[in-house]
Amino acid sequence: MSQVIIQDDEVDIVIGAIQSDLTSFMEAWRPMFSRFHLIIVQDPDLNGELKIPGGFNLNLYTKSDMDKVVGSSSSTISFSGYSCRYFGYLMSRKKYIISIDDDCIPAKDSKGELVDAVAQHITNLTTPATPFFFNTLYDPFCKGTDFVRGYPFSLRNGVECGLSCGLWLNLADYDAPTQALKPNARNSRYVDAVLTVPSRTMLPLSGINIAFNNELVGPALLPAFRLTKEGKFRWETVEDIWTGMCAKVVCDHLKLGVKSGLPYVWRQERGSAVESLKKEWEGVQLMEEVVPFFQSVRLSEAAVTAEDCVAEIAASVKEQLGRSNPMFARAAETMVEWIKLWKQVRSQ
Amino acid sequence: MAASTPLLKDELDIVIPTIRNLDFLEMWRPFFQPYHLIIVQDGDPSKTIKVPDGFDYELYNRNDINKILGPKANCISFKDSACRCFGYMVSKKKYIFTIDDDCFVAKDPSGKEINALAQHIKNLLCPSTPFFFNTLYDPFREGTDFVRGYPFSLREGVPTAVSHGLWLNIPDYDAPTQLVKPRERNTRYVDAVMTIPKGTLFPMCGMNLAFDRELIGPAMYFGLMGDGQPIGRYDDMWAGWCIKVICDHLGLGVKTGLPYIWHSKASNPFVNLKKEYKGIYWQEELIPFFQSVTLPKDCTTVQKCYVELSKQVKAKLGKVDDYFNKLADAMVTWIDAWDELNPSGASAKLPNGAAK
Repeated sequence: MSQVIIQDDEVDIVIGAIQSDLTSFMEAWRPMFSRFHLIIVQDPDLNGELKIPGGFNLNLYTKSDMDKVVGSSSSTISFSGYSCRYFGYLMSRKKYIISIDDDCIPAKDSKGELVDAVAQHITNLTTPATPFFFNTLYDPFCKGTDFVRGYPFSLRNGVECGLSCGLWLNLADYDAPTQALKPNARNSRYVDAVLTVPSRTMLPLSGINIAFNNELVGPALLPAFRLTKEGKFRWETVEDIWTGMCAKVVCDHLKLGVKSGLPYVWRQERGSAVESLKKEWEGVQLMEEVVPFFQSVRLSEAAVTAEDCVAEIAASVKEQLGRSNPMFARAAETMVEWIKLWKQVRSQ
Repeated sequence: MAASTPLLKDELDIVIPTIRNLDFLEMWRPFFQPYHLIIVQDGDPSKTIKVPDGFDYELYNRNDINKILGPKANCISFKDSACRCFGYMVSKKKYIFTIDDDCFVAKDPSGKEINALAQHIKNLLCPSTPFFFNTLYDPFREGTDFVRGYPFSLREGVPTAVSHGLWLNIPDYDAPTQLVKPRERNTRYVDAVMTIPKGTLFPMCGMNLAFDRELIGPAMYFGLMGDGQPIGRYDDMWAGWCIKVICDHLGLGVKTGLPYIWHSKASNPFVNLKKEYKGIYWQEELIPFFQSVTLPKDCTTVQKCYVELSKQVKAKLGKVDDYFNKLADAMVTWIDAWDELNPSGASAKLPNGAAK
C-alpha cells in the first residue's frame, strides 16, 4: 500500500479554549503538536488572557477577532463555549483540520505507549474509506489487514475520507443521565480498530476528538444548534451531535467516507454529571426528533458541494423541524448565515 | 463472573461439517463437552469419522441426507462445507453454533484461552442496535454504554439473530488476496462487538458463526456449491446476504466482532481461485441486487421472506447465469424441506441425550 506523504503545512490543529490555563494541555500534546500550525480560539465568554506555553507556531483568536470578522452581520451565529472552535475552522486555510477538547491529553495504547492522535487522524483522512460494504476486518487499508473474502472488487478502491472521529479513554462521551447513573463508569477498553461508518447510517458524532478534510467538508462543520441553557461542559451541549449528523449527511451525499475508532485521547475528569442533569436535559429530549430527521433527509442531485448540501439541509430543517420548535428554525437560520459567512471569508 | 453451569446447554447445538477427522474437538473439550454436536460428514460416506470420546453427538453422512430428504436432498451441497446447513435443518434447538474443523482455540492479549461459544451466547442473548451507530460499539457489553446523542427511544435495541465471529492467524481472504499476500496473518485483536447497521451488507464467514434458529434459521441456506456446481466458497456469502436483507426487513440484529478463533489451516489459493472465479464476477451483479431488494410488508415470517427472495433471484439474476435459476429453485426446496422437518406447533426443545 503506498504511503501518502502529507506536508505539515497542510494541517491546522484547532483548539477551542474553554479554560484559561492551557499550560498542562499544551505541554502534554507538545510532542504531537509542535510540528504543526495551531489555531487557538478563546471562548468569548472567558475573560482575561489565556496562559499558553511558548515554542508553538500558533495564531490566537479572541472575541475581538470574532467581532471584526462577523461583526453585526449576524445575530444568530454564536461562538460561545465549545462553539468557539468553529471560528478557528472559519479562519483556517489548511486542507486538514484536527480538533481536540482542551480537557483531553494523549492516551496510552494497550502496549502502554503514548498515542499520537494527530498522526492517526491524518492517516485516517488520507487513506480511503469504504462506506458501501462492511469489511469485517475493519479498515482494510490498515497495515496487516485487507478486504475479506466476499468483498466486491469494484468497491475496493474506496472513496475519500471526509471525517475522522476518534474515541476517549477514562471519561467516555456519555450523556449526563448515563454518567449520573454510573458515576464510576470509566472507559478502559482500547479497541484497536478504525472502521468506516456505512453510508446512510447515522451516528452521534462527538466533537471531543475529531478531524476533517476542510477542503471537502469544511462548511458542514458549523455552529448551529444551541440549547437554551447550553453550558461549558459537554454534558450540557449537543451542538456537535447536530453538526456531526449534518456532516454525515453531506458525506453520504457527496460519496465521502466517515471513519470512527482510533485514535483515543484520555479525557480528564471535569464537571459533575448530576449537576448538569439538574440544570437541563433538553438536548437528550431533542435527539428524539433530530435523529429521525437526519436519518431520512435526502439531498438533490444539484447539491455538489458541501455548501450546497448545507443549504439544502437548512431548508429541510426549517420546513420539517422548524414548525414544531423555534430552536430548529433558529438552527436553520444559523446554518444559512454560516454559509454566507463562509463564502464571504473565503472570498477575501 | 463465569457461571459454573454453561449457558443454554440444552438449547444450543454445535454443527460441524467435516471430511477429515474431529481431533480438533480435544482442544475445545472444556468449552464444548456439555453441548450436543451435529456432525455433517461430507464426501465419501463409507469413511468413518472418529469423534473423540465423551461427546454427545449425531452424525449424518450423504446417505443419511439422501434418506432423510429424499428428492429434496438435491438442495444440499456435496463436496463442499456448505452441506453444514443440513445440520441447521435437523437440529431441534433454539441456537446453533457452527465452526470449521481447522479452527482452534485462540488466546486473548492477556494469554487467556477464549471460550468462543460463551461469547457468541452473550452476543445472541443481548440486543442489537442496527438503527443508529454507537461509537463505543456494543453498548450492552460490560464496561461500556450508549454515547451522548444516542436517542433513548432506540436504547432497547432489537433481538439479535446472528453473531459473526472473527479469526486470528489465517484471515478469511479470497484467492487473489491469498496469492498476493500468502504470508499475511491476522494478529490484531480488536476487542469489540458491534451491530452491522440496517441497510448495510457484509461478507458473512461460516467458520465461526452462531445464530438464533427460531429467529432466522430458515434463511441460513448455504446454497448450491461444490460437486456439479460452477462455484464454491460463496456458500456463506450467499447466506449472509440473504439473512442480512431479511433481518433488516424483520427488525432483527446481526453482530460482528468477538469472539476470535485461531484459524490454523490456509487453503490452497489455486484451488480456491478455481472455485471462486465465477463468484468474483457474479458478485458485482449480486451486490447491487441485494442492496436494492425490498420485501413486501406481508412477508412477516422468515420463510415468506425467503421464498419471496427466491422469486426475485430468479427474476433478476436468472439472466446473469442459469445457475441462479437452479439456486432459486433450491432455495424453495430448502424451505419445503425445512418446514417438513420443523413443523410449527411441534415441540422444538429436546434435552440432550433424551432417548426418542
